[in-house]
Amino acid sequence: MSTVVGIDLGTTNSLVAYVKDGVPVVIRDKSGDGLVPSVVSFDERGTTYVGREAQRRLLTDAQRTVYSVKRFMGKGRDDVREETSHFPFRIGGEGGVLRIGVGDKEFTPPEISAFVLRELKHRAEAFFAEQGEFDNEVNRAVITVPAYFNDAQRTATRDAGRIAGLDVLRIINEPTAASLAYGLDKRHAGLIAVYDFGGGTFDISILRVEDGIFQVLSTNGDTHLGGDDIDNLLIDRVLADVPATSPEHTQEIRKGVIQAKIDLSERDETTLNGQPFTRAEFEALIAPIVERTLAPCRQALADAGLQSSAIDEVVLVGGSTRIPLVRRKVEELFGRPPHSDLNPDEVVALGAAVQADILITGNREMLLLDVTPLSLGIETMGGITSKIIMRNSTIPATGSEMFTTAVDSQTAVDIHVLQGERELVADNRSLARFKLRGIPPMPAGLPRVQVQFQIDANGILSVTASELRTEIEQTVEVKPSYGLTDEQVEQMLMDSFENAEADFAARLLIEARNEAENVIHATDKSLRAPDIDQIEKDELAAGEKKKIESVLAGLKMVLNSSDRETIQKWTQALNDTTRHLAEVMMNRSVKAALSGKNVNEM
Amino acid sequence: MSSSTTPSLQVCRDCGGGAPVDAHFCPQCEKILSLGRHGDYFAFMGLPHRLNLDAAGLEQRFRALSRQFHPDFFYNATTAERRASLERSSYLNDAYRMLKDPVTRLQYILQIEGLAPQGPSEASRQVPPALLEEVFALNEELDEVRDARAAGAAAEVWRARLERARMPIEAKRVEHEAQLQALAARWDALADRPNDDPDRRAVLTALADRFLERNYIHNLLAGIERELQA
Repeated sequence: MSTVVGIDLGTTNSLVAYVKDGVPVVIRDKSGDGLVPSVVSFDERGTTYVGREAQRRLLTDAQRTVYSVKRFMGKGRDDVREETSHFPFRIGGEGGVLRIGVGDKEFTPPEISAFVLRELKHRAEAFFAEQGEFDNEVNRAVITVPAYFNDAQRTATRDAGRIAGLDVLRIINEPTAASLAYGLDKRHAGLIAVYDFGGGTFDISILRVEDGIFQVLSTNGDTHLGGDDIDNLLIDRVLADVPATSPEHTQEIRKGVIQAKIDLSERDETTLNGQPFTRAEFEALIAPIVERTLAPCRQALADAGLQSSAIDEVVLVGGSTRIPLVRRKVEELFGRPPHSDLNPDEVVALGAAVQADILITGNREMLLLDVTPLSLGIETMGGITSKIIMRNSTIPATGSEMFTTAVDSQTAVDIHVLQGERELVADNRSLARFKLRGIPPMPAGLPRVQVQFQIDANGILSVTASELRTEIEQTVEVKPSYGLTDEQVEQMLMDSFENAEADFAARLLIEARNEAENVIHATDKSLRAPDIDQIEKDELAAGEKKKIESVLAGLKMVLNSSDRETIQKWTQALNDTTRHLAEVMMNRSVKAALSGKNVNEM
Repeated sequence: MSSSTTPSLQVCRDCGGGAPVDAHFCPQCEKILSLGRHGDYFAFMGLPHRLNLDAAGLEQRFRALSRQFHPDFFYNATTAERRASLERSSYLNDAYRMLKDPVTRLQYILQIEGLAPQGPSEASRQVPPALLEEVFALNEELDEVRDARAAGAAAEVWRARLERARMPIEAKRVEHEAQLQALAARWDALADRPNDDPDRRAVLTALADRFLERNYIHNLLAGIERELQA
């Protein structure tokens, strides 16, 4: 049986992990990097780049590069209208699912996320192949989402998995996943608050942990509040002084801003766009954003029926919790210093891997009991929302509602399903509209149609209905308000197979480039060795160093082309030309070692 | 649908064997039973129909049953078993949510005993006779406070009046809590008697009345709170 992996599909970075001998581990690339930036870029020739490579392209081809797509999952165009100015790519799509335009192509957010998921899948498969696993194919995964994600956002995430060719066994909440990872090595028991402040979303979950059961008591959050908002504040500050000249310039500024933000977690002062920038200034600027995380914390405590002093442990998750001001505020609120023993970037993926392991092994030592973050309701007369399943109900959960007809012989009823805490339909999230059909013709008000709402363990809704007098099952046609139909997802999966060849070519190209970069790096280093002049005089043939330099320059020139074969040819050439030099240098260092001298002393 | 004539039996859809209605797993084939015929929330969780339930015991029961039913543990099972696990987990979660809170627990007992109010709106519109006097006095006071506020009276003045108006209602609430507690204890002693036992019936009716009054009192207090926030 192939391994089931756990995936943290983040706003900024994504990771994949699995459980080996009972211990969850993050799968890294050859350089030891576990993070895959959640960035996807498309060049004019139709090649797709994912991760670091795509991230680099933000600085050279910003308008064809998509990042922070998680903010758009399960959304419509109107939901994000005010923030589109911050993104270099086009955002369109009228009515229904939002679309991201790149060149002459359009993608839905799940399709963009699927590129990131496919990259993680490949990474895991390459890793398992290298480990000599008998079956290295990865086609099943547990994927995490913010706890406060609504049904549409969860469904979009599951669709992304399907488009990437993954069977998504479970969708689990990020803070809960983190608590699983924390619960492993220590016998945690008691009341735990998980404060998860990531790149694009904020979650707070309050859990009771007892003999291996991780029971969520309440959760709250904001799916539109994260490090991105801090970056945007800083970008606006820089742009007030120096207007951006191009999308790439804006990305250059964004990169600098992020660096400054990171610097200020370690130091008291840095520079922002060449100007001195202190932590105090930074904190004054971002204080309102940090403050916005505290109201959900208080609400979650109230919903759990707890005072903040009742919390035994506070766990920090997400890159934004590295900011000292965030830590101080959390400590102030809960009256105790928060934990951050595990890497806040990796802890969610580790937890997802643990959950994946529970599913395939049936291991009953640990069990997650999560809740639905938002109340589920239906539209009633006058545009009022009538709640059927209350927020913070443990899932799976059910609710039912009785409907009848308004006119004689009516055979269908329209139902509008909503999610949210507000009274008015217009203030809540529209999930779906559906029509109950096949009601037996009867006088008005006589049919009794019971509609059953089921929220499964993934927090995803399904609806069934039956007429109670006749026991006739009704067909329910759900039209997701901001989601894809099953047919659309199928089509996208088919398209991705067709594109697989192009993707494979892109992968080979990237590998060729990486290989070339390694050789360039090694050659550059040799040519800068302190004794290179001596070596040339004593041991190299006339013109040998010149030849190396010219081949090196040639490879550097073709490096950024999309012609894999040319890159490989030049890489090979450089390898051949430098072989003698490498041998010479190796011999010298061996001699030096034998004579007890450091190479640099020679 | 099962055609079994014994109402206390359910049928295992897997092996066709009979199982007690409150069993979760088939005694013959050990498969998880689909949620066909089942008892009420108390019976499902293996708890007596009591109003004073030991919170820790309820909690423990919920955890133990979660460990038996949860869909996480049925990933490699058949579709029917996965469906059954989802149904039983959902029902368990709904049961736990209803029984955890003493107020919804009482509401549920009244409901399964056929004494549930017709609907929340209808119940709260009608003033329970025992509260007529208080409600009358309060409404008068609230009208005067609104008038005073409209006439520009100082906030401390009308706030103080509201606080004073709250006192008798609050006293009524405390009195009611005590009555409910006493009745709950009576119910717990009589619950196992036959349904037509006159004492049992009398306690239930009294509980139903106090429950309506309790909800009414809470609405009144919430109304005063709203005025205070205004």
